[in-house]
Amino acid sequence: MYAGDGDGYDPVNIEDDEPVPMEDDEEEEISQEDAWPVINAYFEEKGLVRQQLDSFDEFIQTDIQEIVMETPDIEIRPESQHNPSAQQVPDFAETVYKIKFGQIYLSKPVMTEADGETSTLFPRDARLRNLTYSSPLYVDVTKEIIQKGHDYEQVTETEVLSKVYIGKVPIMLRSSFCTLYGNSEKDLVELGECPYDQGGYFIINGSEKVLIAQERMSTNHVYVFKRQQPNKYAYVAEVRSMSESHGRPPISMIVGMLSRGSEKGSSPGQRIHCTLPYIRSAIPIIIVFRAMGFVADKDILQHICYDFTDNEMMDLLRPSLEEAFVIQNQQVALDYIGKRGSTVGATRAKRIQYAKEILQKEMLPHVGVGEYCETKKAYYFGYIIHRLLLCALGRRPQDDRDHYGNKRLDLAGPLLGGLFRNLFRKLTRDVRGYMQKCLDNGKDVNLHFGIRASTITNGLKYSIGTGNWGQANAAGTRAGVSQVLNRLTYASTLSHLRRLNSPIGREGKLAKPRQLHNSQWGIMCPAETPEGQACGLVKNLALMTYVTVGSSANPILEILDDFGMENFGEISPAVIPQSTKIFVNGRWVGIHRNPEPLVNNLRQLRRQVDINMEVGIVRDVRLKELRLYTDYGRCSRPLFVVEDQRLLIKKRDIRALQQWESPEETAWHDLFKRGCIEYVDTQEEETTMISMTVNDVVSARLNPKEAYSNTYTHCEIHPSLILGVCASIIPFPDHNQSPRNTYQSAMGKQAMGIYMTNYQLRMDTLAYVLYYPQKPLVTTRAMEHLHFRQLPAGINAIVAIACYSGYNQEDSVIMNQSSIDRGFFRSLFFRTYKDEEKKVGTLIKEDFGRPNRENTMGMRHGSYDKLEDDGFAPPGTRISREDVIIGKTSPVAQDDDQKGQASRYTHRDHSTSMRHSESGMVDQVMLTTNADGLRFVKVRMRSVRIPQIGDKFSSRHGQKGTVGMTYTQEDMPWTCRAKPIKGMPWAVESITPDIIVNPHAIPSRMTIGQLIECIMGKVAAEVGKEGDATPFTDVTVDNISNALHKCGYQMRGFETMYNGHTGRKLTSMIFMGPTYYQRLKHMVADKIHSRGRGPVQILTRQPAEGRSRDGGLRFGEMERDCMIAHGAANFLKERLMDQSDAYRVHVCEHCGLIAIANLRKNAFECRGCKNKTDIVQVNIPYACKLLFQELMSMAIAPRMITKEVKQVKAQTRMEPNN
Amino acid sequence: MGKRKSRAKPETKKRMDKLDTVFSCPFCNHGTSVECRIDMKNLIGEAICGICQESFSMTINALSEPIDVYSEWIDECERVNNVEDD
Repeated sequence: MYAGDGDGYDPVNIEDDEPVPMEDDEEEEISQEDAWPVINAYFEEKGLVRQQLDSFDEFIQTDIQEIVMETPDIEIRPESQHNPSAQQVPDFAETVYKIKFGQIYLSKPVMTEADGETSTLFPRDARLRNLTYSSPLYVDVTKEIIQKGHDYEQVTETEVLSKVYIGKVPIMLRSSFCTLYGNSEKDLVELGECPYDQGGYFIINGSEKVLIAQERMSTNHVYVFKRQQPNKYAYVAEVRSMSESHGRPPISMIVGMLSRGSEKGSSPGQRIHCTLPYIRSAIPIIIVFRAMGFVADKDILQHICYDFTDNEMMDLLRPSLEEAFVIQNQQVALDYIGKRGSTVGATRAKRIQYAKEILQKEMLPHVGVGEYCETKKAYYFGYIIHRLLLCALGRRPQDDRDHYGNKRLDLAGPLLGGLFRNLFRKLTRDVRGYMQKCLDNGKDVNLHFGIRASTITNGLKYSIGTGNWGQANAAGTRAGVSQVLNRLTYASTLSHLRRLNSPIGREGKLAKPRQLHNSQWGIMCPAETPEGQACGLVKNLALMTYVTVGSSANPILEILDDFGMENFGEISPAVIPQSTKIFVNGRWVGIHRNPEPLVNNLRQLRRQVDINMEVGIVRDVRLKELRLYTDYGRCSRPLFVVEDQRLLIKKRDIRALQQWESPEETAWHDLFKRGCIEYVDTQEEETTMISMTVNDVVSARLNPKEAYSNTYTHCEIHPSLILGVCASIIPFPDHNQSPRNTYQSAMGKQAMGIYMTNYQLRMDTLAYVLYYPQKPLVTTRAMEHLHFRQLPAGINAIVAIACYSGYNQEDSVIMNQSSIDRGFFRSLFFRTYKDEEKKVGTLIKEDFGRPNRENTMGMRHGSYDKLEDDGFAPPGTRISREDVIIGKTSPVAQDDDQKGQASRYTHRDHSTSMRHSESGMVDQVMLTTNADGLRFVKVRMRSVRIPQIGDKFSSRHGQKGTVGMTYTQEDMPWTCRAKPIKGMPWAVESITPDIIVNPHAIPSRMTIGQLIECIMGKVAAEVGKEGDATPFTDVTVDNISNALHKCGYQMRGFETMYNGHTGRKLTSMIFMGPTYYQRLKHMVADKIHSRGRGPVQILTRQPAEGRSRDGGLRFGEMERDCMIAHGAANFLKERLMDQSDAYRVHVCEHCGLIAIANLRKNAFECRGCKNKTDIVQVNIPYACKLLFQELMSMAIAPRMITKEVKQVKAQTRMEPNN
Repeated sequence: MGKRKSRAKPETKKRMDKLDTVFSCPFCNHGTSVECRIDMKNLIGEAICGICQESFSMTINALSEPIDVYSEWIDECERVNNVEDD
């Protein structure tokens, strides 16, 4: 049973639960069914957009402050200006001005009206008034003036400016800084919000924007690849190193083993070279070691190979040692590197210094950039080579680029962090420039002037508003990071908030990154991805995916020290082969001789939440490594912990969950603290043994011989949680061919329903709402958390699968007209028009109002009668095509327009009229002011859409179709099942279907799920309960069939039916039952288009394009080719010229250029040739004439030679004489 | 009119520039006149300016490249200059 469901929901488990084997334990084990209260607790606490909210909160709470703190203080030394009047020598050497940024403060979102009044901003106002939902950010600034003498330093003046406004930061809805945070459901409704809306997006200028998570490769990780030959290198190891403070872009190092005999005349051995930053050629690794101060061969080998008895590996290193034999001391090695740097022609001392700095600061910065890091760096560098050799020796396979453990997701927090860092840097740069200028000119510094808040405000607004991540028109910006939140249906909104993108070129032919990888199990939805170019690159998170927000590595390092980790200072390299290397965030921090208890301790600490629960603990037994991760962007998911073949979570915990009432602590978090559940990330998952179901663990214990495994460490909470939002709506997806689930995942986003409970209060530009949405008869457990029952997008239609009259061929369906008349799939369509009184210059302002034909020029075709005096059509007015709904005029300057003679026009029309293909009723008019204080109006139009032939519908199994025919109930087939009814001997059930789909839609597509949904729907309707269609449960078709049979129906869902037209019994039985159908947004009324004649483009005089402009249908290149192939030359000419842009010009026969023609006077003249007689008329397309004139403007003379015509003329003239 | 889908220009990947093989002459200051000859057989490297015919030669090893010979020459010039200064 579903726990904690308020609306009297009671699901049928059509099949009873298998009895759990009873045990004599003091603690009762849980069953698979008991996983659901746990899942409920999870969604109760987290909701579905937690990753967005967590990430943003992290940005606000820690990242902003960190970015501000890590910016270096601004130090300004005034440049001494030449000033002849004041010729005194100062008594101190120099004055230094220092600016420090300190504590930041963020207020709640506010809005400052044009009159200067500031008030709290609520999201609803932001959406309606096209405002930006953002909070002002303040920072404490300290200004110090330091006077530096020759041997002393003195702070002479300190000024603290507290809370200086530095800009506005857009706030994510429902994050902890949102005005809605912590509001109860009731409060939310009062504020005009939908209580089901989960936030996770921003409001920029009134439009809702989502930040799409961006996937990237993880940094500080050694990847070893075998290169496809022929290539310079046979094997390469790559590290993209990025230091902890992520201010700088990652620096990559590539260590490569050369292919055998790649260079002509070189020694045949496989030498190993590596790249160094800013060094222009690859450097032999041994030279790098020598440059770092490890000169002796033995020293070097100890850092690479650890174990000198490993002859194979030692042999592989020999060529490298031999190669570097000629360089035998640190200075020479440094010089060798320095010479290959960017400075050519520097002296030796400078080169050595340069090389030293590169090795210290630029090479592998994540290991350390300070002094005395050489040992650590050498060990890490040696480790990279070690890994390379392991792969070259075939002891380890090459790394997998597509493994999800090697991927990181940048969510809203890190994305905004990067943006904010750049903008803050720009702000400080501007402040420095301003101060320098002030000081140089001897003026006073006013920091409030110098700190330009618009830098941050506009920078953030620009990026989130447009999706161009980075400064406007700068290089390296990514487009499409921020998107307009899809509000078509509730599920599409949720899915959009959980979407992620891999920024790999769409045109790349490589299939690998698009394919579903094993490591994506439980993390990415296997079904929900777009088709076509972005297939597999755009992904969606599975329901329980948790993306880490990151935590400091320091607590881990302290714990490791306490548990006896040995640092590099204290160990001899000889012990490395026997002990386990410990890495924290890819940085090798030390070794440990007894990893087993260490790992157990760490896990135990994590399960007690003594160390952050999102820390990843990966023990690689074969490699003898222990990798710990605390970084952000790792994907993980919760799992039940199994110890000694028993789940740690017990029935007692489940009971506690069901009675949970404590408000301050959440049930889910409590489970964590007790170690029943833990987050396992994709890398750690490789070191676990996960049981698929609870029963697997139990049976493995009771039946060890037949068990798949006896070493389970974890257990899935429920296998159906591998699916994402859209795929969780599909009933029985485990019975469908997999692409059908993908198709449905795409179509579910186009289904109409109730997209928000507050849709009446919203003014979306486009909105579709279904008249009588129903919750599905056949549901999945996950749907409860998607609120699909509360905000459904479909109707339980009675669907028959039959051939009937032939009007349902090729994916069309027959629909019951009588059902339609009763309101079946009727829907509303809203479109909002908006306009504002723009200011033109400083004086002229547009005005809403009813334009007057007497004094207004440029008025539209449509009727202005529906406008009231204020210029708006009032709610309830019926508007037909092209009628004006917003009247607006601007005053026209009177003066020198017509030279004294006053024009009758004082105004110009700027009204908005309804789209010419639409009609409807004015639903709501909202008049307000926008951010600039201008009057601003939104008018929402409403129209009813009744299903008609051509409208698109779909089941939940990727079976879409358009209506091919509607029949009234009499003409539909009916059933004739005798049905016992109280008080009557018998009655005929006589059911007619709402929809008839063609049986040919089934066999090749193999959507068995739809058939099972249908019979389960029949049982559910008969029993009066919902059917459970959750995937990977043990519901079988036989169970359902038996239940159906018990209800008195044919067990497989067939019905004997009679033809509605003839009354005859149909020869075969028909499969019929309730199936949940969706109405998709594609409707003929929005698409139907035809044109005889109509508007043309001004430039070319060819017909306009597009339905919205009443354009023509393009006779394109391929159609043209067909006509050429047919030889239909006249038809072609008619299409391309006569029906398009036919034009005639008059051409001078002498020069072939266009002549002056006065058709009224019938006078023709070519001025250049002084020719008034020899002029011919030529029919050409207007576009051709345009081309000729453009050519003429470029001093090219396109001459139309009409000689042939002349000859023909002459011939015809001569003929009568013959 | 049928608009073409605009496609952003493919990002030109910044390639690591190659090591120089021609250098500016320390004597005549011509930008690209010095070329280096590397004789691996006899282990002699020689740098010659094509303009002023100034040259320098040294013994080299298997790892030497033109830049090594040139840098050595610069160092040599430096040393000679310093000696003259003293």
